[in-house]
Amino acid sequence: MQASRARLFKEYKEVQREKAVDPDIQLVCDESNIFKWTALVKGPSETPYEGGVFQLAFSVPEQYPLQPPQVRFLTKIFHPNVHFKTGEICLDILKNAWSPAWTLQSVCRAIIALMAHPEPDSPLNCDSGNLLRSGDVRGYQSMARMYTRLAAMSKKG
Amino acid sequence: MEDDAAIGVSDHVSSESNLEDSSCCCPICLGPFIQLSYLDKCFHKFCFNCILRWTNVVAGKHRSLPSSVKCPLCKTENVSIVYGGEGSSFQRHYVNKDFEDSFILSRAHRYRLQCYYTDQGLLDDIFNISQYWRSRKYTQPNCWLESWLRREIQALIQEKDVDIIMHHILGVVKAALWTRKEQKSHMNSPEKKQEEFKMSVSEAARRFLAAKTDRFVYEIQLFLASGMNIEAYDAVYIQRLGWSSPGINTEVSHSALVDRTTVIPYLYIFDGDSDENE
Repeated sequence: MQASRARLFKEYKEVQREKAVDPDIQLVCDESNIFKWTALVKGPSETPYEGGVFQLAFSVPEQYPLQPPQVRFLTKIFHPNVHFKTGEICLDILKNAWSPAWTLQSVCRAIIALMAHPEPDSPLNCDSGNLLRSGDVRGYQSMARMYTRLAAMSKKG
Repeated sequence: MEDDAAIGVSDHVSSESNLEDSSCCCPICLGPFIQLSYLDKCFHKFCFNCILRWTNVVAGKHRSLPSSVKCPLCKTENVSIVYGGEGSSFQRHYVNKDFEDSFILSRAHRYRLQCYYTDQGLLDDIFNISQYWRSRKYTQPNCWLESWLRREIQALIQEKDVDIIMHHILGVVKAALWTRKEQKSHMNSPEKKQEEFKMSVSEAARRFLAAKTDRFVYEIQLFLASGMNIEAYDAVYIQRLGWSSPGINTEVSHSALVDRTTVIPYLYIFDGDSDENE
């Protein structure tokens, strides 16, 4: 408990300093609970998510960093490895391949990488996965782009 | 304005790279190292407690104890955590205790290691090294030398598999003593022969035994000069030093026992520097 708190506090300070470096990630800690974080990540360029800003919710366990944080998309996203309804993410480093050397910041980077490189063979969103698996890249891209426009872009844009 | 931004960024980058090459803090707690320790293969650094707790988490996920743990930074499989490195010694915590048990020093090994912490020359009146050289006894092969060397090296470097080192040193010893350059070496004085022997053996052994090399070369000569087998030789040594023997607990003067067993035979770091220290 104490260890996770101390570590999160270190991450908090690091995030404050790093803000200028990674313009694609904005990590914010809940004002009253250091175990709750949200992140805004920019959709990677040259993907159907380009131009969108996606909100992630982090729930950090007390055993952190020995256990991975729970992360899910709050913003609706059409992606093979993200559950369309719950926003749950299927990513190895958030499960078996977790290492305590990961930080919330680097988890965000991993999620951005996942957005750019979907793994259709372990789908949480079967429709999205099937499109890619059947080779219909255009179909996948247009669906993903549509949801990016609908959910991840400000109405003005 | 642009200049300012550039400076700001490079500042951030350097502080970040500091964090990433983990020279300043433990990658698990992100704090300064507490009881600095290393993984034994990749040598990544962690707080001892941090990496130990992670190791236990990993072990908890397996039905049977794994023999290794992946480094959180580079995924290299490591079998032990090296910690407590102060001065010339360090300790190891094995991921799998069974693995550690595969080689623990036997009492005879520990005993031999303790001998290296006594003053040299305690048995000189029993086994006369210079007599050994002068009388050219060295020309007679010694069939126990191989086993004796193996145990000695195992004790000194605390590894089970020392065959390569043992054969290397044995080869050098044999070459120095028993090769047929007799015509030539007969003309050499025994002193010269002894010097040659000490030189070539210590040269062969130093990279493995470091600071213990000179004593090791002396102990080889002592063993050879004894002309005894290992059991008999140990018995004489034990009798002289008055320690409890490897096998039997005998009544010994307590002060001697306490004095001489205070040295805990940790693993010794063999680096170039330690050569000069002794």
